[in-house]
Formats: sequence, C-alpha cells, structure tokens
Amino acid sequence: MVLHTDEQTIDDLGIFGQRNGSGIYDLYNRTHTRGGEAVLKELFLHPLSDKAAINRRSSIIEYFAHLKMAFPFPADVIDMTEKYLRDPGERTKHSRHQSTLGEKEIQHGVLAVIALIQHSREFIETKAVKGIAAYAQEREAISLLIADPAFEPALREKGKGKLSYSAIAAYDTLFRVRERPKLEQLLGQIYYLDVYLSVAKVAVDMKLIFPKALEKEGCVLQLEGVYHPELKNPVSNTLLMAPGQHVIFLTGANMAGKSTFLRSVSTAVYVAHMGFPVAATSMEFSVMDGIYTTINLPDNLGIGASHFYAEVLRVKKVAAELNRGLSLFILFDELFRGTNVKDAHEATVAITNAFAGKKTSIFIISSHIVEAGVQLQQRGNIGFYYLPTRMNGHQPEYTYTLKQGITDDRHGMIIIRNEGILDILKNGQKIS
Amino acid sequence: MSFSIDTQTLEELNLLGKFRQGSVYSLFNQVRTRGGEQLLDSMFRTPLDNAPAINERSGIFQFFQQAKLDFPFDVQEVSLMREYLDTGAGDNALMTLAGTVIKKILSGLTRDERYKKNVQGLQATIVTLNKCYSFVERVQSPMGPYAARIEAVRKLLSDHRLERLRNIDIYKALPVQTLAFYDHVLKGRLQEEMEGILSFIYELDVNIAVSDVARSKGWTYAYALPPEKNILMAKGLYHPGIKGGVGNAISLHRDSNVLFLTGANMAGKSTWMKSVGIGMYLAHMGFPVAAANMDFSVREGLYSSINVADNISLGYSHFYAEVVRVKQAALAAASGKRLLLMFDELFKGTNVKDAYDGTLAVTEAFSEYRGCLFIVSTHIIEVGAALKSHPNIHCVYMPTVMDGVHPRYTYKLEEGITADRQGMMIIQNEGILELIGE
Repeated sequence: MVLHTDEQTIDDLGIFGQRNGSGIYDLYNRTHTRGGEAVLKELFLHPLSDKAAINRRSSIIEYFAHLKMAFPFPADVIDMTEKYLRDPGERTKHSRHQSTLGEKEIQHGVLAVIALIQHSREFIETKAVKGIAAYAQEREAISLLIADPAFEPALREKGKGKLSYSAIAAYDTLFRVRERPKLEQLLGQIYYLDVYLSVAKVAVDMKLIFPKALEKEGCVLQLEGVYHPELKNPVSNTLLMAPGQHVIFLTGANMAGKSTFLRSVSTAVYVAHMGFPVAATSMEFSVMDGIYTTINLPDNLGIGASHFYAEVLRVKKVAAELNRGLSLFILFDELFRGTNVKDAHEATVAITNAFAGKKTSIFIISSHIVEAGVQLQQRGNIGFYYLPTRMNGHQPEYTYTLKQGITDDRHGMIIIRNEGILDILKNGQKIS
Repeated sequence: MSFSIDTQTLEELNLLGKFRQGSVYSLFNQVRTRGGEQLLDSMFRTPLDNAPAINERSGIFQFFQQAKLDFPFDVQEVSLMREYLDTGAGDNALMTLAGTVIKKILSGLTRDERYKKNVQGLQATIVTLNKCYSFVERVQSPMGPYAARIEAVRKLLSDHRLERLRNIDIYKALPVQTLAFYDHVLKGRLQEEMEGILSFIYELDVNIAVSDVARSKGWTYAYALPPEKNILMAKGLYHPGIKGGVGNAISLHRDSNVLFLTGANMAGKSTWMKSVGIGMYLAHMGFPVAAANMDFSVREGLYSSINVADNISLGYSHFYAEVVRVKQAALAAASGKRLLLMFDELFKGTNVKDAYDGTLAVTEAFSEYRGCLFIVSTHIIEVGAALKSHPNIHCVYMPTVMDGVHPRYTYKLEEGITADRQGMMIIQNEGILELIGE
C-alpha cells in the first residue's frame, strides 16, 4: 500500500531540490548506479503505508548500516552490463533495430555479465548477508536467479582469462536472448541493494535513527530530538502526540523557526513512511494513510486566484480526503494568512474545531491569531506549543526550542522600528 | 532634476521592454524608422519634469491627432539616406572627387558596390528631401504648437545648395562631378543641417505613431500643473494594456493626499494601482493616457511596491525586503521630494497582526507628507477603521458582489471601506466544515 500524498507536500518538504540547493532526496542519494538512483527516486515519490513493509525495509537498512558494508559491485561492471543489455541483441535481428554494438563491446559486455553473476554469488554467500533475516527474501531471489543451470558455465569461468570467439558468441546468445529477463531481474535486485547500502551509509554518516512503525489509527507520534536534516547546526525538539492530543496548535513570531520546525516534523514523518532513517534521537509513529502539508502555498496571481481562495481550496482537498475515512497526517503553516484578521480568526477556530473531531488523524496547525488559540483551549484534545522569542534590548533572539502554551510574540513592528522608518518619516522634510 | 523611478517600479508597471508581452512601450511602438524607435526609447527612459515642457509635447501630439497626417516618407529611403550620410567622405573636395572617380572605375572593373551605393544614397536623399519639402509646404497653414519647428525645417530646406539638389532629376545620369560635390557638401559643411532634417523626420514618425495609437484607442492627454498644487485628478482612468478596461475616477490633492484602498484579493486592487502608476508615467512623458480626462501636478518621482515576488519560503527575508522597500520610499519622501508612492498589500509577507500594525503606523506616518501622494492597499480592513480619524485619508474599495455562491467583481471603485467578509462565506460555500464533520 502506498501513502497518499501530493505535489504540494513534496514541494513543501523540499523532497527534490529546486533550482537552488539540494533536496531531501539528494541527502539520501549516495547510490553508485543510475538504476539505483531511479529506484531511490521512485521510493521517495511513493512512501509506504503498511506497517510490516515499513518495518521490514527499515530493519534491512539498519542491518546494513550495522555491517558498514560497501557496495560489492565495481562501477564498470554495472555500467558495461547496463549498456550491453540495453542493446536488443540478436532476437530482433530482422526488425528495424539493428544491433549497434561492435565485436569488442560484445566481448566486454559478456565479461561484465560474467563478473556480475560471480560477484552476486560472492555477495549472497557472505556470512553477514546470510545473517540478515529481513533481507532473506531478496537474498533468496538473487540466489534463485543465479542458481539457474543456464548460468552454470558463467559461474565456473575463471579469472580474466580470454574467451574464445565461439564462447563469447554462445554467452552472447545466452545473456541477451535466452536469459535476458533473468538478468534484468538480477539488475533490479542490485539496484535495490544499492539503495539500501547508500541509505545505510547516510544513516551512519549523519547519525540518523531508525523509527518504529506502529499499527494504523493509533494516532501516535513520538518524536524525540527531531531536527531538519539539511541544517548545519540544528536545534532539536521533542513532540509527543497521542490519541488524547492529536491536534497541535503552534504559535510564535515570524523568525522564531515555526516553518523549520514544521518542516523537520513532517520530513521525519514522510521519510519514516519510506522505512528510511530519520533525523531524530528516537521516533515511534502510527502508520498513516496519507500525508498532506501546506507550508508554501503559491497564490496563483497570474490566473487571478487569491491567496485566500487557494488556501480554502487546499483545506477543501484535505477535508475531502478526511471524509473518505482515511487517517492522515495534516499540517498547515499560517492558516488563512490571505484574509483580514476577523475572517482569519473565525475560520481558524471553525476549521481547527472540525479537525479535532477527526480522531484517527494527526493535525499540526500554526497560526498568528493568538485569540483563536485561546478560544480553542476549551477543547481537550488540542495541544498548544510555541517557539519563544527573547528580547535582548531591541534585538530579538530566538531559541528554536519548543515550549508549551501560547505566545503572542510579534516582531514585525520591532523590525520596522529598528530600520528607523517611522523616525525617518517623523523627522523628514515635510513640504506642503 | 529629473523624474526618479527605479527598476522595480519600471518592472512592476511593465513600462519598458520592446519584446516584453503587454509592456506599455510595446503598445506605443508603432514607429516605422530606426531613428524613430530610438527617439521613442529615450522618451520612455526620461520622462519630463516640468509642466510647460509636458504640456508642449502633449500639445504637439494633440495637434497630430487632429491633423491625421500620414507618414510621408519611405522607410527604406530614409534608412538609405541615413546610411549614405554616415559613410564618411574626405574633408577635401578634391580628395572626394578623386575617391569617387576611383570608385566608379573600380565598379566598372570589379564587383565593387560602393559606387552604386553612393548613387543610391544620393538618390534617396534627393527623394526624401523633396518629400520633406512638399510636406512642409502642405502644412503651411497655422500649425499651432508645431509652427516653430516647421518654420525651422523650412529654413533648412531653403538653403540654395539643397534647393539645387532637390531639383536634380534622379532618372537622369548623375555626373561624377555632381556626385562628388554633394558627397563632400552634405557630409561636410551641411552635416548639421542634414542631421536636423533627419531628426525632424524621426520626430514626425514618433508624433504620428503615438497620436495614431491615441486616436484608435480613444485616449486623451493629461494636463500638467505646477508641482506645488499637488493634484491628481482623473476620470475614467484604466489600464492601457487591458482592452475595454473599467475606468475609475481618482481625486487626490493636498488635503486628501492618501488613498486607502481595500477589497478582496481578486477585486482588482493591484490593477487599479498599476493603472494610476502607468497613467502618471505616461502623463509625465506628455503621452496620451487611458482616461477620459486627467489633470496632475508634476511629480519628482514614482515609487511602487506592487508585485513583490511572493516567495514565502524566504519567510523573514521577504518581509524584510518589503521593509527595505518602504524604507527607500521613506527616505525619498523625507528628502523633501514630491512623489507618488504606491504600496499594494503592504507587509503581506508577514502575519495579519504584524501587517495590521505595520500598515497602520506606516500609513499614518506617510500621510503627514502633504507634498506627496500615496496609494495604499490592504486586505486587512481593520486598518481602515483605525485610520478614519485622519481627514486627509480617503478610503475607497473595490467591491465584490455575490452571485449566489460565486463572487463577481465589478472593478468599479466605491467610497468607504469594504464590508465584504467573504472569508467565512467562501468556506461555507465550499462545504468544508460539513466535509470534515461527517
């Protein structure tokens, strides 16, 4: 089962880097092969929504991280094999696609495939790999593929000894015509292995931890020491959500780090659903059916739609998903910023109250409308947090550490004052 | 002293740019000659800064608009003439003669084009001069604001050498001697005169092109008043880039120097601001404006903050960019200049409450500058209520009419502050609460 999500969420979290800077995907991408890269991208596009699958993938990666194993295939072997297998070979001799490989290339290709098969055997026979229970399924698949009697001669081939012309011709027919599907499957397994090993390496290098997935609809999200993996000197926070408190109402000043905090939490949830390690000290979460965030909603002024309307449509989309009875992770940053204060207040209260009634989903809502928070405090299952600002003389200072409660810290005016705009105007030369 | 405007404002109003879609420049760029285009370019780049000059130029355009003149010259010939005059010749008459003879011989022997070019250039010059002469003669009747210019050109053309040149029959063979003589005279002693005639042609091109645009679109000319009056009055002003745009009136003056604009986001606030900005800019160029009528005091500059790229991901820095922009405007206003300042959705990069405080404080502070004119828009209608005590702040709004469930926009300004509270209405119409509640 695949986790429901959408482009807005993927953009918000910066999964794939935009023109400037890299994305989360690039952080995890240390793959050696192009195929592995494609598989990783695919995994990032379609996180899982199944507890067993998540935990299985996560434990595979955890084992590999433990082993600190390097990718067991030389880069040139994979490259050559890919190039060789991409070519149609003799099967389509009579079609329009002519074989474009020369004798020499065919020879290299055959040798590469032989090396690939031998390396594969070596890999699955490794004691450490045999010990990974979660990987048994994949190991079994690889071993079945290469145990095929057709590959017997290839496994027997020794060293870099030159092959005769007739041997190469025979292997060529075997690899590219008769057993091509098996070899492609083998490559597919290797790509996955590449992803696992690369993510495992990232986990070790960045000291990421492996989260534990719990049953669905439990509404649990226990995140300790979570931070944003892209930050250099991050401040970590702890967020605990449980069935009794499945809505979080977050307040704080402009630069206090709300968006960053929201991004780190939702990135952790997203990545955890892929079975990948996350940037935190510990994490347990109920598996969700979907994840929808709204952090940077673009207001399409070009087509004449207002920001407020864009927000309303976004809320509507989320509401429709909730209405299908799914349990979702939902996040809104600065809900209803595109309208006047009164409307924003009423709408925030109404929507948050409605969300609080959906007991199988998790909601995080940030807002500047402190009054809305005060009004919402009557409801039991909403947690209130804020990111504080300390005033150091006239310069605001930010701790980035989450605290319980509501704050009305606002610093827009302080910044305006610090820039001296009002003073300039006050003392300016007024002509009439 | 010059009219000050910065890149951001030029961009926001989409004023310049030959190849930019819908730029104001491209609306007027119907000139035929290269030189005309250069002239139009420089007019766009340097608006005028005093009332007499503005009124003089707009008077000329008006004259052309009424006279309905056609551009009498052949574009190809004008550019040939330009080229001919630009190819230098010797200062010495004898040298020029010798050079011409050599070119002629060379053209007979090899495929040398220079001699032919020379002949064609002179022929084009003769034709153009003749056309210019007949044009000047034709519009001999009182020419209003343009009479002096015409008189000057006539004087240039009456030079006896030019007169003789005009009378050469181009369909007869040109003796080498004549060719060399004019080569020498036109590029040497008569250089200034020829430049004068060419720039007259370019002016004519621009005047005819601009007045044609105005005539076909039914635009009018703004009347410039001295800066001290601090007036901006217009009726039926609309965005020139919008076909059949809805016109609105504006009336700002010393005792009502701030226009406070509210309305829903799609109601047309930004477009209205751009209309005013473009109108003012064109008016300062003496160009026709998209309005029924318009009177304005000459300003020393124009500042706008309309399309601050809505890059929310930058969070603070977006807000900060707005603050810096306002600071620039504040410094300009505080230096005692008479400006037109326009702020659309001031401080939209921040939360509603900060935006409320900021808009209120900044608007109040700016309103003290009676020598400047301001237009401020916001969707935070609460600011309007707090500003009501200032008699010099004039509140208008762009209304939204609810057609059953769908909002409709009239784009017609109304007095006061909008009471539109479609926020909750839209949420209810979309049935969101029911969707979640079920």
